[in-house]
Amino acid sequence: MTAAALFQSALASLPEIVVISGACILLILGQLLRKGQQHFLVWASVAIVLIAALATLMLAGEVRPAYTGMFVADRFAVFFKFVFYLATILTFLLSRKYAEIEGIGSSEYYVLLLFALSGMMIMASATDLLSIYVGLELMVLCTYVLTGFLRQERRSNEAALKYVILGAVSTGIFLYGVSLVYGLTGTTQLDAMAAAVTGDPLDPGLLLAVVFIVAGLVFKVGAVPFHMWLPDVYEGAPTTITAFMSVGPKAAGFAVILRVFLNPLVAASDVWIIVAVIAVVTMALGSFVALVQDNFKRLLAYSSIAHAGFAIFGVVAGGADGIASVMLYLLIYSLMTLGIFGIVIMMRNGDFSGEVIEDYAGLSKSHPGLALLMLLYLFSLAGIPPTAGFFAKFYVLVALVERGFVMLAVIAVLLSAVAAYFYIRIVMVIYMREPERVFDPALTPSVRATLAFTAVGTLGIGLFPAWFLRLAQSSVFGG
Amino acid sequence: MTFPLLSLIVFLPVAGAAVLVFLRNDDAVRWTALSVTVLDLVLCIAMLAGFDTTTHEMQFTERRAWVPALGITYALGIDGISALFVFLTALLGLICVLASWVAIDRKVKAFMVSLLVMQALMLGVFCALDLFLFYVFWEAMLIPMYLIIGVWGGDGRVYAAFKFFLYTLAGSLLFLIGVIVLYFNGGETFDILALTAQDLPFRVQSWLFFAFLVAFAVKVPMVPVHTWLPDAHVQAPTAGSIILAGVLLKMGAYGFLRFSLPMLPEASMYYSTLMLALSALAIVYGGLLALAQDDLKKLVAYSSISHMGFVTLGIFALNLRGLEGGILQMFNHGVTTGALFLFVGLIYERTHTRSIADYGGLMKAAPVYTAFLALFTLSSMALPGTNSFIGELLVLSGGFAASLAAGSAAVFGALLGAAYLLGMYGKVALGPASVDGRYKIRDVNAREMAAILPLAVLVIWVGLYPKPFLNVIDVSVKHLLAHVQSRGSGQ
Repeated sequence: MTAAALFQSALASLPEIVVISGACILLILGQLLRKGQQHFLVWASVAIVLIAALATLMLAGEVRPAYTGMFVADRFAVFFKFVFYLATILTFLLSRKYAEIEGIGSSEYYVLLLFALSGMMIMASATDLLSIYVGLELMVLCTYVLTGFLRQERRSNEAALKYVILGAVSTGIFLYGVSLVYGLTGTTQLDAMAAAVTGDPLDPGLLLAVVFIVAGLVFKVGAVPFHMWLPDVYEGAPTTITAFMSVGPKAAGFAVILRVFLNPLVAASDVWIIVAVIAVVTMALGSFVALVQDNFKRLLAYSSIAHAGFAIFGVVAGGADGIASVMLYLLIYSLMTLGIFGIVIMMRNGDFSGEVIEDYAGLSKSHPGLALLMLLYLFSLAGIPPTAGFFAKFYVLVALVERGFVMLAVIAVLLSAVAAYFYIRIVMVIYMREPERVFDPALTPSVRATLAFTAVGTLGIGLFPAWFLRLAQSSVFGG
Repeated sequence: MTFPLLSLIVFLPVAGAAVLVFLRNDDAVRWTALSVTVLDLVLCIAMLAGFDTTTHEMQFTERRAWVPALGITYALGIDGISALFVFLTALLGLICVLASWVAIDRKVKAFMVSLLVMQALMLGVFCALDLFLFYVFWEAMLIPMYLIIGVWGGDGRVYAAFKFFLYTLAGSLLFLIGVIVLYFNGGETFDILALTAQDLPFRVQSWLFFAFLVAFAVKVPMVPVHTWLPDAHVQAPTAGSIILAGVLLKMGAYGFLRFSLPMLPEASMYYSTLMLALSALAIVYGGLLALAQDDLKKLVAYSSISHMGFVTLGIFALNLRGLEGGILQMFNHGVTTGALFLFVGLIYERTHTRSIADYGGLMKAAPVYTAFLALFTLSSMALPGTNSFIGELLVLSGGFAASLAAGSAAVFGALLGAAYLLGMYGKVALGPASVDGRYKIRDVNAREMAAILPLAVLVIWVGLYPKPFLNVIDVSVKHLLAHVQSRGSGQ
C-alpha cells in the first residue's frame, strides 16, 4: 500500500480515528479528574462525537473506498453514522444525572460508550465479512461490560454474563459461516463474493454459510429465534445503556444486515424466505409477549423485538425503497425510543425506580407536560398518525406492497394492531388512574434538552417527512 | 393562489387548542373554546354562502406538495357531499362545548383541547382530497377520542376506550393496506380525484372493496362489527357521545361515498346485494336490541345502529333517491341523535341515572325539556314534518326500487323505531312522577337552550323545506351516480 493510498484510507476513516483517539485521551484524562468534576466527561465525550460528526459531514461528498476493499465511506454509512451519533450524544446527555444517582459515573463508562460507537461506525462502513466482524466485536465487547456496570446488582451481573455467553456463541456461528464462504469462494469481500459464484447460487454449502451468517447477525438485532438474551439484558442493564443498546447496536446490526442480505449472492439464494419468516415470527412474539409485561424496561425490550421484526419486513422487501424504508424506520425508531427511555431514566430518583408500569399511575395529574410527551412517544411507537412512527411503518408497507408482498403487509399491520394495545395500556395508566405517589423526576437541563429534541423529531418527521425521506432514499447504496 | 379558507376552517380549532394550553382559569378555557367553535361555524357558514351548487367539481381547493417522493400532496376541497358534513361537524363542535360546560368539572383544559383537536381532525377528514392526508386525519382521531372516552367517561370507561380504539385501529389498518395497493394500481398517486378516474380490474376492485368495507363497516357501524358502539356510547361523556353519533359514524358512510362507490364502481354494484342485506340486518337487529334496553344511552346507541342501516341501505340502493336519502339521513341522524344524546346528558347531570325505569312524569317537573325531547323523539322515528321523514322516505323509495326484501325490512325497522322511541318517551315523560321525590329537577337553562335551539330549528327546517339541503348535494350525487353506473355496468 503506497503512502498516498494509506492517506486516502486514513482520510476515509477519519471519523472513526477521531472517536477512537478521543476515547483513548479521555481514558487518560479521566484518571486525573477529581470528584465533582465528572460533568467534564460528559461534555468532552459529546465534543468528541460532534467533531466526528463534523468530519463525517465534510467527507460525505463522495464515495471513498479504503483499506483495499475492507471499508467504504459512502452515503449509506454516513446516514447510519448520524443515527449512531444521535443515539450516543443523547445517551450521554441522559447519563449525567442517572450515572450520579447509580454511582456509575466513572470515566470508563463514557470511554466504553465511545468505543462501542466506533465499533458501530466500522460496522456501517464495512464491506468485508472480516471488517464487519472487527466492528461487531468492538461494539459488543463494550456493551457486555456496560451491561454489567451496576456491580452491586445481581440482575445486572446476571444480564452481563448471559449476554457474554450467548453473544460469544452467536459470534462463533457467524465466523463459521464466514469461513465457509471463504472456503467456497476464496474471498470474504462482499462484492467479490458475488462475482466469485459462477455456478448454482443454491449450492448447499453456500446456503449453509448464508444461514450461519444470517443467524449470527439476527442475534445482534434480537430477532426470533435468537432473542432470548434480549429481555434479560435490557432489564438488567443500567437504563441508559438499555436505551443505547435498543437504538445504536440495533441500527448497526441492521446496517450490516442490509449490506450482507442485499448482496447479490445472498439475494440470489432465496434467503428472503427465511428472512420473511423471521420477520413474522419476531414481530408476533414481540407483540404478544409484551402484552403481559409489568416491568417497563422488559416491555420496551419486547417492543424493541417487535420493532426489529417490522424493520426486517423492509429488508424482505429489498430494493431501493426497501433499504430506504429500513433506514428511515431506524432513524425514527431511535428518536421515539430514546424519548420514552429518557422519561424512564428521569423517573429514577431517590428510592423510586420507575421500572414498573403501575408506578406511572396518574402521572398526567401532577406532570401534564411529561405525560403529554409520553403520550406522543407511545402513540408514535404504536404507529398512529400524525407521529413519525406512523410514517416509518407506512413506508415499510409501501416497500412491501411495491414488491407484491401484500399478504406480508397485512400480517405486519395486524400484528402492529396487537402491539398498539400495550402502548395504549401505558397511556391508560398515565391518564386514567389516580396518582398513588408524589412524583419527583430528575428533570435536569440535559434531560430536558433530550426530551425536547426527541419530541420535536417524533412530531416533526411525522408532519414533514419529505426531507427525511429524500435523505434516506439518496443514501441507499447501489440504488 | 386564493385564500386558503378550508385550511383555516380545519386548523382554527388546533390553533385554539394551542391557545388553551396557556390559560389557567377553567372559565377562560370554556369561553375561549366556545369562541373558537363559534368562529369556526361562522367561517363554515360564510363558506357555504359562497358554495356553488351547480357544479360537482371540488371547490375551495388547495394543493401543496407534501411528500413529493411518494406523490403525497396536501390537498383540500369540498363538493356538495362533504360541504354538508363540514357544516354538521362545525355545528356539533359548538354544541359539544356547550354540553360540556358544567358536565366536565375536572381537567377542563385537557378536555377542551382534546375536543378542539378532535374537531379539526373531523373537519380534515371531510375536506381531504388526498388519500394519505385523509388517512392521517382519519387515524389521528383515535388519539383524542380515546382520551375523551377513557379519561372523562363513566365507570367502565377504560374497557370502552380500549374496545373503541382496537376495533377502529384493526379496521383502519386493513384500509391502509388497501390504500397502498390502490396507490400502486392507480398510477402511484394518492390524489382522490385521479384515483377516481382510474379503471381498475374487477379482481383488484373486489379485494379493495372488502379491505375498505372492514374499515368503514366498523365506523358506521354495521352488524356484526357494531359491538364497540354501545360500550363507547354508554361510557363516553355527553360531548363524546354527540361526536360519536353525530360525526364519527358518518365517516364510515362518507368513506363508502367517497372511495368505495367512485373508485370501485364495479365491485360496489356487484356486492350491492350483500350490502343491502347487511343494512337490512342492521336496521332490524339494531331496532330489536333498542327495544330491549333499559339504559337511555344504550337505547339511543342501538337506535343509531338501526338508523345507520337506513343510510347504508340508501347508499347501496345505487339509485338517485336512495343516495340522496342516505346522505340526507346521515345529516339528519347527526342532528337528531346528537340532540338525543344531549338530552340524555342533560337529564343525567340532574339525576345521575340513565335507567328508564327510574324516570316518569318528567313533563310536570321540566315541561320545556320534555317538549323538546318530544320533538327529537318524533324526529328520530321519522314523523312527517320532521327532518328524518324526508330522509327515510327517500331511502325507502330507493330501497324498494333496489330490492323488495330490503325495503320491507326497512319498513319493519321503522315500525320498531316507533315502538321503542314512543315507549321510551312514554315512560320518561308521561305517567306519574317517580324521580321527583328524590331529585330536584330544574328545567333547561339559557346555555342548554342555546345548544338545543339550533338543532331544533334544523329538525323542522329540513322537515318542512328540505330543498336547500338537497340542492347542496344534488349535483354531486347525480355526478357520482352517473359515474358509478357508467363504470360499473361493464360487469
